[in-house]
Amino acid sequence: MLSRAFLFVVVALYTVFAAGPFLWVATMSVRTTTEISRDHYAWPEIWHWEKFSIAWFKSNYQVYFENSLLVVVSAVIVLTVIGSMAAHCFARYRFRANRLLYFIIFSAIIFPPQITIISMFQILVQYGLYNSLPGLTLVYIAIQLPLTVYILESFFARIPADLFDAARIDGYSEWQIFWKVSLPIALPAISTTVILNFILLWNEFLYAVVLITDEAKRTLPLGIQRFIGDTMYDVGMIATGLMIAIIPVVLIYAFFSEKLIQGMTAGAVK
Amino acid sequence: MAAVSIKNLSKRYPGAEALAVDSVSLEVAHGEFMVLLGPSGCGKSTTLRMVAGLESISGGELAIDGKRVNDVPAKDRDIAMVFQSYALYPHMSVYDNLAFGLRRRDFAAAEIERRVREVASTLGLGELLKRKPHALSGGQRQRVALGRAIVRDPKVFLFDEPLSNLDAALRVGMRGELIKLHHRLGATMIYVTHDQVEAMTMGDRICIMNGGKVVQIGAPLEVYRRPADTFVASFLGSPPTNLIPSRFNSDALHVGEARLPMQRSSVENPIFGIRPEDIRIHSGIDSGAPHAHGEVLAVEPLGAETLLRVRLAGVAGDVMVRGPRSVAAKVGDRVPLAYDLASAHLFDPATQKRI
Repeated sequence: MLSRAFLFVVVALYTVFAAGPFLWVATMSVRTTTEISRDHYAWPEIWHWEKFSIAWFKSNYQVYFENSLLVVVSAVIVLTVIGSMAAHCFARYRFRANRLLYFIIFSAIIFPPQITIISMFQILVQYGLYNSLPGLTLVYIAIQLPLTVYILESFFARIPADLFDAARIDGYSEWQIFWKVSLPIALPAISTTVILNFILLWNEFLYAVVLITDEAKRTLPLGIQRFIGDTMYDVGMIATGLMIAIIPVVLIYAFFSEKLIQGMTAGAVK
Repeated sequence: MAAVSIKNLSKRYPGAEALAVDSVSLEVAHGEFMVLLGPSGCGKSTTLRMVAGLESISGGELAIDGKRVNDVPAKDRDIAMVFQSYALYPHMSVYDNLAFGLRRRDFAAAEIERRVREVASTLGLGELLKRKPHALSGGQRQRVALGRAIVRDPKVFLFDEPLSNLDAALRVGMRGELIKLHHRLGATMIYVTHDQVEAMTMGDRICIMNGGKVVQIGAPLEVYRRPADTFVASFLGSPPTNLIPSRFNSDALHVGEARLPMQRSSVENPIFGIRPEDIRIHSGIDSGAPHAHGEVLAVEPLGAETLLRVRLAGVAGDVMVRGPRSVAAKVGDRVPLAYDLASAHLFDPATQKRI
């Protein structure tokens, strides 16, 4: 009983810790900056829902949102397809330098983004991809691929080899086995990487701020930065922008984590 | 149905010194149930996987129905395989698991449906077609794995230790069902196991392997009664054949302190092999004198019979004796023993082969 009470206290504290700031930003998103500067923590007196439409239409958020969606969704799709194919190969086939290649890809994780960003910039300029959404997409794919391959490889490696053998005897080609056997079984792990990549890239700021200059090509994190001027912070609009940015993350998490849990309970490979 | 012909088949894994499979030759006839038996690592599974097309062949020749298939991919060999782990696709229902192979082979939907239903009803899976593998018991999964092979109606069935994940009672039941299945389908089957009881009860013939090589091929009782060497003698049978060093002196074979009237062989000091059931406890009504006396070290009553662990004077290891259930011997007793010399074998200690 005591331990249950203790657990309750810990969970309650953690909920306040995690949800508190979120709630705070949520309240600020419907208050004006003047109201906020009067009292940071007050409950909204008048609910300024119009701030959302101001952000969306007048502050160009529609464009940022579409840019972010385009870049992140295409990066996540490519990451998932390439990452799972690579992971399947590393986990499944014995070939010369398998582990060496895997290690080289994996070792890219240890470099902080600041190290690669200058060379990325150079490469994009050379290929005429600097300040373009395809360029940013390619960079996002490049920086997230190692982690994706790493997570998926360890999952694919746990799929019993007998399943592949059975499918080969059932008459399927290696390509079909990947699509019909490997991929469906790995769905829980793939959901994990989809959530992870989506959230990380949706919030990505550093590469975007260096590689994108055009107003019309900004992504959401850069859009939020717009409200930070030289002399003043439009805290109210920043909060509104944040709330707009958070919605897709919540949606993607809700949808894929459902799949994730389903996959984990139904998976049981043996 | 098809015959499988294996000639000098070899397998060397890249980087490995020794051959995993060393010139294995084996002819499996139409409709024959052939068991590959041996301890783990003897190359029996590798041999099966080469027949299946899951491992490349390093040397030798493999033919199914007289056609060389060394380089034919697994999917075109028209074989079906049942795996030890069942290898059911976890994301598919039982129905889809059964239909998966047929769909690839472009059967009409109605034909797939008909076959799946037919096999499911034979194997008692009719109620389970919508379930996923994780919602099945071990025995049911085993049936699905079996069904997936049967539904394809292949030329050859391959089994890779299919019963070893089942508990003992279920295993005995499935053993019987597999035998029935073989009779009903009349199909060629190659069955890999390390379980000698499975081999003895199921096989038309047994191929015993050790260290990548074939040691002996023959009908179960033939192999049991006339083991080719000490390995087969000790691998088949539980408890195994007693192997006792012996030596010819004048006209008798000296086994410990016993003098046995046996035909003199070319080898001076053969290994004397005798099965536990071929040693009797000598009783008053027996003719002649007992061959030896042994001290009882342990009595293991199994119900139907009683095993005695006996020490013989002048013999290093213990000797196992299989007696009737009524044996009254106690630990420490001295019992008179008589050997059934007609069933005993002599082995050459240099080659381990039967003389």
